[in-house]
Amino acid sequence: MTIDATMVGRSYAAAESYQVGREKIREFADAIGDANPAYRGDDAIAPPTFAFMVANPALLRLLADDELGLRLDRIVHGAQKFSYTRPIKAGDDIAATATITTVRKAGDVEVIMYETALTTVDGDPIATSTSTISHNRADS
Amino acid sequence: MSSVEVGTELPPLTVTLRREDLVRYAGASGDFNPIHWNDRMATSLGLPGVIAHGMLTMASAARVVTDWLDDPADLLEYGVRFTKPVIVPDDDKGATITFSAKVDKVADGTAEIDITALAGEEKVLGRARAVVRVS
Repeated sequence: MTIDATMVGRSYAAAESYQVGREKIREFADAIGDANPAYRGDDAIAPPTFAFMVANPALLRLLADDELGLRLDRIVHGAQKFSYTRPIKAGDDIAATATITTVRKAGDVEVIMYETALTTVDGDPIATSTSTISHNRADS
Repeated sequence: MSSVEVGTELPPLTVTLRREDLVRYAGASGDFNPIHWNDRMATSLGLPGVIAHGMLTMASAARVVTDWLDDPADLLEYGVRFTKPVIVPDDDKGATITFSAKVDKVADGTAEIDITALAGEEKVLGRARAVVRVS
């Protein structure tokens, strides 16, 4: 099968919660070349785009839905947006759920928007990640 | 952060990305797509060469805003479009991206900021925009 607009609304929860450690935040901040002291120490918050990594396990579940027929190596990331209720911080235990919000088709290309809700494991909102991806079914 | 009004320009930021930085970001983020470290794979997919992770460019662009804020926790919204790939050659120079940003709107204790990202003459991000708390 292939993805189409009837699949809007399907939701995919990450298999496990994401436990945020201060050393992972430091490693990520170092990797983006960001020396901001807010991203270091026991009270560290995470850099804004750290949220994308936390959201990723939910995307992997979406890609594993055979009915969508999507392949990671055919996907190009077109746009990305985050809305924050509060920053992610060291010690958070985060649940991620991705929901397909739009599907547009143009020939072999499918433009898919999905929203990933990041919450505490108790359901308190932290942030929302909205991604637009293009999936190309054509064999190059 | 001093007074914020429409037209306020944030201090610009220049970032250099070399292959080493892409490898480091791949490791830290878990995004090991070979187009970000392997020329053979990148060119076989029609790219001119290895390109930076879009999320690394997005992370770098955020710094122009979070460096300016007293507290990066005041970032409320942040979005970009990935319009052009950043090609990172296999040399010591790498790719240089210059980020600039300007306040476009101030209302209700928030400011909306437009960010421009230029690699050479090319805009590598489109509609890059942040909403921050300024109360």
